[in-house]
Amino acid sequence: MINGQLIKRSRLVALGPVLCWLSAAIIVAVCAGLVLYPLIIGAKMVNLEFLLTDPIPSFNEALAGGILTPIAGTIIIILIATFVTVPIALGTAIYLSEYANRDSVITKSISLGVDVLAGVPSAVLAIFGLILFSLPQLAFLSSKVEGTELALGSSFLVGGLIMMLHIVSFVIKAMEESIRSVPENYRTAAYALGTTRWRVIRKAVLPAALPGVITGIILGIGLIAGDTAIITLCVGGSMTMTGAEQWWLPWNWLETLQGSGSTLTTFVYYSSPAGEGNAPNKAFGAAFILILIVLFLNLTVDYIMAKSKKVKAAA
Amino acid sequence: MENTNRKSVEIKKIRGVLPSSEALFSSTKSQARWYRIQEKIIENMLLLATIISSTAIFFIILFVAKEALSSLKHNGLAFFIAGGWDQHIQEAWFSETPKWDFGALPLILGTFLTTGGALLLTFVLGTGCAIFLAELAPDAIRRPVEAMVRLLAGIPSVIFGLIGLMVVVPFIMDNFISNELALKFIAVAPLDGQSLLAGVIVLTFMVLPFYVTVATDAIRAVPKPYKEASLALGVTQWRSVTKVLIPVAIPGIVTGMILASARAVGEAIALSMVSGGMAFIPDPSHGLVFFLEPVRVMASAIIDNKEAMSVKAIESALFGVGTILLFISILLSLTARLVFSWYQKQVMAK
Repeated sequence: MINGQLIKRSRLVALGPVLCWLSAAIIVAVCAGLVLYPLIIGAKMVNLEFLLTDPIPSFNEALAGGILTPIAGTIIIILIATFVTVPIALGTAIYLSEYANRDSVITKSISLGVDVLAGVPSAVLAIFGLILFSLPQLAFLSSKVEGTELALGSSFLVGGLIMMLHIVSFVIKAMEESIRSVPENYRTAAYALGTTRWRVIRKAVLPAALPGVITGIILGIGLIAGDTAIITLCVGGSMTMTGAEQWWLPWNWLETLQGSGSTLTTFVYYSSPAGEGNAPNKAFGAAFILILIVLFLNLTVDYIMAKSKKVKAAA
Repeated sequence: MENTNRKSVEIKKIRGVLPSSEALFSSTKSQARWYRIQEKIIENMLLLATIISSTAIFFIILFVAKEALSSLKHNGLAFFIAGGWDQHIQEAWFSETPKWDFGALPLILGTFLTTGGALLLTFVLGTGCAIFLAELAPDAIRRPVEAMVRLLAGIPSVIFGLIGLMVVVPFIMDNFISNELALKFIAVAPLDGQSLLAGVIVLTFMVLPFYVTVATDAIRAVPKPYKEASLALGVTQWRSVTKVLIPVAIPGIVTGMILASARAVGEAIALSMVSGGMAFIPDPSHGLVFFLEPVRVMASAIIDNKEAMSVKAIESALFGVGTILLFISILLSLTARLVFSWYQKQVMAK
């Protein structure tokens, strides 16, 4: 009797590990499918012509053009958002880890504010951006709506600034962690040379924390490249650049940044059967490039991590 | 203890003395003054950056809630418990006089259904995968699986949406929805594969990696002696995992679930692509067809109805939806923090 129960139980128990292996296998298979499917279908689409022509709004897929402006748009948004995020994130991370008193109420509420910001959905950030940047005083970032006082509230500049809110807390956390993990004797050794606090941070702490800081920035770039909600609302729903027609000329750059356009993610969204374009092959072509970007960022992070581990092991 | 205290006091002393000691080593008085000014400038710039990044959340709450106020005031409680979102949008869009009546119940229920379903699947699949990564997998397999989980976390939501729309939706259409079924329900809702089920499946794999990462770390962080003691008592490895490691790791697992739900609640694009384009409340009395009926979640409504925002009443209603989302996400962040500090206390106690 007891024996029979034990055997039954041990059979049941043997099932547990099998289920664990199975769930890991499912996750790996889904991930591989998500990466390979667009790569295989998209590869047929991608050629030089596809990469170098503007999208043309059309119901006929053959006439729908390429993805030149979405690629440019992705690069523009990444540049603007990184440019505004890095100083703010780095400043906050240094302040929180080197200057602030960890146990004070103010420091705690600062880190609470940063934490809560991390959880805000990007769709909510996007409508916040729309309302903030349609204030007439901020019209210089987008353009005026004709016949009213208000600003349009959607442009590459606006999108980049809102994207900053989307990524800043993640970047701060990654940077803060890497700055905190710099051994205390780096600091004491530098102080012993008789220099000031800022110089200790700049010459001793930051160089040691650099791999983590760069990893944080790359994580941020991944989030920027992958977001769709903020782009559709804050950059706008136009496939091509609405600024100047020859947007690539340097003297038209400001106008381009104040106008709207698209990125790879919004191109995929609009070209998919869910959007207006209904050109799924074009969508897969853009998804191909998007996945390459994500893979490249992931590999870069892995490379930096592996390298800094080696340096640490050697030291 | 006393020793480390003295050390930190000494370090503080050194820091306080520094600007002048710099001057000692490097010549003139004016240079020493310049260093002191430089220190002040930099400290204030860092403080400014900190203020910007930590107060942004207050401005977000302020602006979004202020814009939502007129709709929430007009509708009161009905905004949360009345249905008919799509119809209200239509009416407000076409009517000559401003129409302010809105009921967001379908959106709220849509968010709860998709999030709940995704969390359930995430818990089952994710806990299995976390146990696998923390305990079962040999190193040679563990590393690539971990890399895949990390990669999954980085895939843009629009790719999930695209694959969902091109693969999952047709699969559901071909396997679960017959022509007769679609005809039978044609007066209720269009059954075309874009459904609650598709939404739950896609959402599950979007939030899984975040849960798996946290849960794996939590299981790994359980002190070694726990497992060793259990094994020494002759308990099998599997039972040591389920009876010792998992119970101790529960605060970490709960944190992972909260993070996953925060992600799931805020997802807009992928769900707007796969879960159907109408604010419909799936009817449980239809049996299993419940899962095949379309839903629209709060975050997708903001994206889907953006063109209609030029009408003041619709704009305010969408901000009302945004306010609900905002408060859910804040609540989840605060809960995650509380659970985490509970977890830390537990670790400290050991």
